[in-house]
Amino acid sequence: MRDLIFVAYIALIMLLAFKRPFLFTLVYAYVDIVSPQRLSYFLLNSVPLSLILFALAFLGFALGDDKKNVRISPRWFLLILLLGYCGYTTTVAVEPVAALDKWNWVWKALVFASFLPLTLHTRLRIEATVLTLVLCVSTLIVTGGIKTAAGGGGYGSLVILVDDNSGLFEGSIISCVAITIIPLILWLAKHGTVFKPEWKVRAYAACLIFACLLIPVGTQARTGIICIAVLGILLLRYVRHRMLYLGAVALVGLATVPFLPSSFTTRADTIKNYKADESASTRLAVWAWTWEYVKEHPLGGGFDVYRQNRIRYDMEQRASPDAPLPADLPAVREVVDEGRAFHSSYFEMLGEQGFPGLLMWLIIHFGGVWRMEAISRMYRKRNRPDEAWVAPLATALQNSQIVYLVGSLFVGIAFQTFFYMLIALQIGLDTYLARRRKEAAWLPLTSRRKLAQG
Amino acid sequence: MIDNFSILLSHVLLAIALWRLMNRPDLDHEDPPVQDEKPTGFGQRNRPVSNTRKAVPDA
Repeated sequence: MRDLIFVAYIALIMLLAFKRPFLFTLVYAYVDIVSPQRLSYFLLNSVPLSLILFALAFLGFALGDDKKNVRISPRWFLLILLLGYCGYTTTVAVEPVAALDKWNWVWKALVFASFLPLTLHTRLRIEATVLTLVLCVSTLIVTGGIKTAAGGGGYGSLVILVDDNSGLFEGSIISCVAITIIPLILWLAKHGTVFKPEWKVRAYAACLIFACLLIPVGTQARTGIICIAVLGILLLRYVRHRMLYLGAVALVGLATVPFLPSSFTTRADTIKNYKADESASTRLAVWAWTWEYVKEHPLGGGFDVYRQNRIRYDMEQRASPDAPLPADLPAVREVVDEGRAFHSSYFEMLGEQGFPGLLMWLIIHFGGVWRMEAISRMYRKRNRPDEAWVAPLATALQNSQIVYLVGSLFVGIAFQTFFYMLIALQIGLDTYLARRRKEAAWLPLTSRRKLAQG
Repeated sequence: MIDNFSILLSHVLLAIALWRLMNRPDLDHEDPPVQDEKPTGFGQRNRPVSNTRKAVPDA
């Protein structure tokens, strides 16, 4: 039954897209994020849905869009370069089969991220993309939030739609994504034109943000807690009444603690005592291994090179630094492990793509933070009423990016499609604004008259 | 049950959004922007002082 409904739904939205081909791009993003193929059992699994949609989106762009509005930026070239470089490292990967598996989805993410900015040449298209990303992620967030509020959840046990630990359905990743979209929800609730900012929209946005905040509680992913803290600090920058905001955050924080499940607070406590935590100790050991590896192989080992690692580390036996040590136990225990994942996007890039890949990745991401800062400052200074939406969107995209960059310190999400869509949005916004600024450029009155006279 | 509710809610909202977008002419074409009243960015440096109007302070 669910299969038939999904097929009918996709047919319907594709029908709408035939009237306005840009909508195919949004439908592709929907299929990529929500993965209706995974939610259904047979019908959708049997057709290459993403491929068909991308072909339609590209055809729509090639035949229907006005190419004179297309602009590209240096970061767009870097995306293409990264795509080519990843293709090269896959051909020389030390784990050829696993590398090819990862390459099969990475290239799609990078190609779509390169394609998306070319299509974003109106304000409404930019807003529509932000809205689509938020609504698609909300499919996972709403169910996760309700289940957590109803008392479900637990580390590795909160099932969001499907019992699948890959893509956005993985606990740490959805926790990071959930916090990443909060700035975008806030922007849509204030500056949206598709759903205008009325009380119903604001109420739904508030509920959705609450659900987002519940996701790290439900998944008990510590990355999510760190992301919430980072976002809290970032929002401080532009709030009007800082003391009031700080007081409200402290109050809500204190009021929430008694309601949190004890398993959550116990897990959150392990952030402090990382020496006795196997997950944290493994990370440190894998990162050390990665550093040694790239010193010998500066161009990286290709996708999934972590499968080569054999790590050995000492772990403290005490549960906390003050806890007494049982008499029959040694102070540290030697742990031997192999094939452990990077658990950090930075080390994922370093190990897999070496120094050149890490450098490109850092420029693409930190370049985004810098460009959004530049745009935000410029448009606050320009202060034109018709551009009032620009600076807040640039700030929202910047905040999302910073949350991602901090969250990805502890999760290997260097190639997650969703975050590349955020990059594509930033590039699209940047190039769109550059073109509009040029069109609106100030001219002396005499030149304007001359232009008007032709 | 909760899963189905979540899927239904987000998908209905997405369908409404796509429907509204389909009926918006500014999805594909925008009017040209209003001309800047004063030079900004790189233009500001290159203009003779006499041509620049007094800047309005930020709100």
